Amino acid sequence: MNDIETKLRETVKRLLADHTVRYVIGWEATRFEDKTRPAFISDSADTDRLVWNKYCVSSLAKYALDEQHSEGKIGICVRGCDSRAVCRLIEDKQLLRENLYLIGLPCDDKEMNICDTCTHRNPVIYDELVGEPVLERQADRFAMVGLMEAMSADERYSFWESNYSKCIRCYACRNICPACNCRACYADQERVGWQGKQMNTAQNQIYGLTRTYHVGDRCIECGECERVCPMMIPVMLQTRKMLKDINEMFGDYECGLPDGRAPVLGEYTLGDADDFM
Amino acid sequence: MSVNIKEGWEPKILAFCCNWCTYTGADLAGLNRMKYPENVRVARVPCSSRVNPQFVIRAFQKGCDGVLVCGCHPGDCHYVTGNYFTRRRFMLMKKLLEYNGIDPNRFQARWISGSEAAKFRDTVTRVSEQIKELGPNVKFREGRWS
Amino acid sequence: MKLLKKDLKEALRLISDDFELLLPGEGSGVSRFALWDGGDIDLSYGNTQLPPKDILFPHTEKMYSFKCATDVEVTEEAEAKSRIVFGIRPCDMRAIECMDKVFLEKGFTDSFYSRKREHTLFIAMGCTNPCRTCFCDSMGLTPGDAPAADILLVESDDSFEVKAQTQRGKEIAECFGRLLTDGKVQVSKVSCALKTKMSDDLPEKLSGMFEHPIWDEVGRACIGCATCTYVCPTCYCFDISLDNHGSEGVSFRCWDSCMFSDYTRMAGGHNPRPTKKERVRNRYMHKLSYFNERYGSALCVGCGRCVEKCPANLDITEFIDKVAEVRL
Repeated sequence: MNDIETKLRETVKRLLADHTVRYVIGWEATRFEDKTRPAFISDSADTDRLVWNKYCVSSLAKYALDEQHSEGKIGICVRGCDSRAVCRLIEDKQLLRENLYLIGLPCDDKEMNICDTCTHRNPVIYDELVGEPVLERQADRFAMVGLMEAMSADERYSFWESNYSKCIRCYACRNICPACNCRACYADQERVGWQGKQMNTAQNQIYGLTRTYHVGDRCIECGECERVCPMMIPVMLQTRKMLKDINEMFGDYECGLPDGRAPVLGEYTLGDADDFM
Repeated sequence: MSVNIKEGWEPKILAFCCNWCTYTGADLAGLNRMKYPENVRVARVPCSSRVNPQFVIRAFQKGCDGVLVCGCHPGDCHYVTGNYFTRRRFMLMKKLLEYNGIDPNRFQARWISGSEAAKFRDTVTRVSEQIKELGPNVKFREGRWS
Repeated sequence: MKLLKKDLKEALRLISDDFELLLPGEGSGVSRFALWDGGDIDLSYGNTQLPPKDILFPHTEKMYSFKCATDVEVTEEAEAKSRIVFGIRPCDMRAIECMDKVFLEKGFTDSFYSRKREHTLFIAMGCTNPCRTCFCDSMGLTPGDAPAADILLVESDDSFEVKAQTQRGKEIAECFGRLLTDGKVQVSKVSCALKTKMSDDLPEKLSGMFEHPIWDEVGRACIGCATCTYVCPTCYCFDISLDNHGSEGVSFRCWDSCMFSDYTRMAGGHNPRPTKKERVRNRYMHKLSYFNERYGSALCVGCGRCVEKCPANLDITEFIDKVAEVRL
């Protein structure tokens, strides 16, 4: 047990006792040391189930959508990425800030590759912070994209083709993604015919590219899509490409920050470049 | 599933044309007896911003060798702002397609007004030539069931 | 009969002319059963990430094609390659038994499945290296035994004991001929790492728990993806769909998952399983209770793939233990 875990449990206990929140979404232990599971604590006697360690990796914000129309506040433990996911969902009009109580947890100990390029280790919004803020680090978010771009077109195509040929279309990347919050996903509307149900590389590519484009300008770079992929497809390498282009064309751009900036594809300026046309 | 390319291949090019400008421009080209390659298929859309990026991927999947999206010049949109969104959308789309290994010439976007019949002819002729040079597109292409 | 490990490749070569050989292998970071390329045989995969069910029940399978001119012409698929699946583990073999029940029993034979099944032989490998998520011995299996396999190989340091368990298995074993020597191997009993309190009366207990409050909590962390069902060696649900190209097309079936919202969505939009609570309940009930009612065994074989791969780390063994502790 660590200090922050103790503090977290105390905080949650207090919030439940004084009815600030209906329940709190955090993480709990599983049978495996290196796995934790999202936990939903509504009884102050259960707060000891909560854990905080380097294996607390699941994104939590999207679980609030399960009860997005209920009365009362939901408490969510938020790391940097979770807080950005909350921002995403608020901006997408899925959640109301006043219905949330955010327990901030600075996060600096995760061992996933994707966390190496994290630029917001501290929560960007929170109601109270458990623990001390950690040092933010500079990271080149687009280094991998740069390596990809240096390859030839055919090499890039083969890379993605072989990756998408693995895809089993479990839609975990979609379901975990805070930017994927449509009530009905295009991929589930079989009759409309956007997405065939047959699994072959072409259909998987359609899914992969469409997903990329749908979330590309709203991606908060939590990397959950990559973490949950059972076939280990580097999903973020696609969305990061879009973000890289957006950064190059429209200036520094990061999503899920409380700066009120609209997604770039939702707006335009008269001076947009059209040298490609 | 496999993709078979026959001999004597002619490219299939899909041109999405805005009803208010490019489509009229294409019409004018016809009225003026201008000749342009018959391998361009024109799909009329109410506005260039009607073109969902997914239309483009689907076109490649279903066997098109090139896709062209044409709309009104900036400021001329029948719906005032539609083509501004088109511009941003396809700016990013084009780069994403390139990133996924599609040759940039296979997907192009152009502003062509209702009076620019010659520009329409020249554009589709050029695109057709470029695609012919690139050869058949097999990327993203869905093969037939074996 | 014994087969020396160093002769294994030679033995497989002897049967590779008459059969397509499928072995566990790794490609682009994913382990699954794939056609043998004649190369070295690596049996250290443990449970392959993707189960072998797609050998008999492919993710996407063409059923028939049709052409409409003045008449409608329908062409059915008839495919029958003789195949041997080598190195399948007892849990996956048990899973094939479950699939057999579904597709071949109860008065209906699924021709697409049975065609493949008839032409497929299984050489199982007694399990010596359980993964950390394995719990097959709690589900009534013996890790070292695969009664449904045509041949069972029991591994020791330098050799395999070859046990032909069916007539077809005997014929294959005869092909190995001179490579086989007399003898048995001594193996120590293997025990799974993960234990769960599965009991004979749990299926019945569960069937009385449909409205139990336990379901409110169990599936809450579920994200509603199909990972568990697609890595499961026994999940057999499929959907039938059409792929039309003008006046011709193909009817195919493909895996479907009870975890998807559109799985139970009806015409008109009503969905009897509207939230993940009902969906997770259905999956667990199917694995542990419904299948027992119909076929007399659990549909979970304890391979642990869903435990390992679930993005939210839901764990069916924890659920079983929870149910075991419930007092009705």
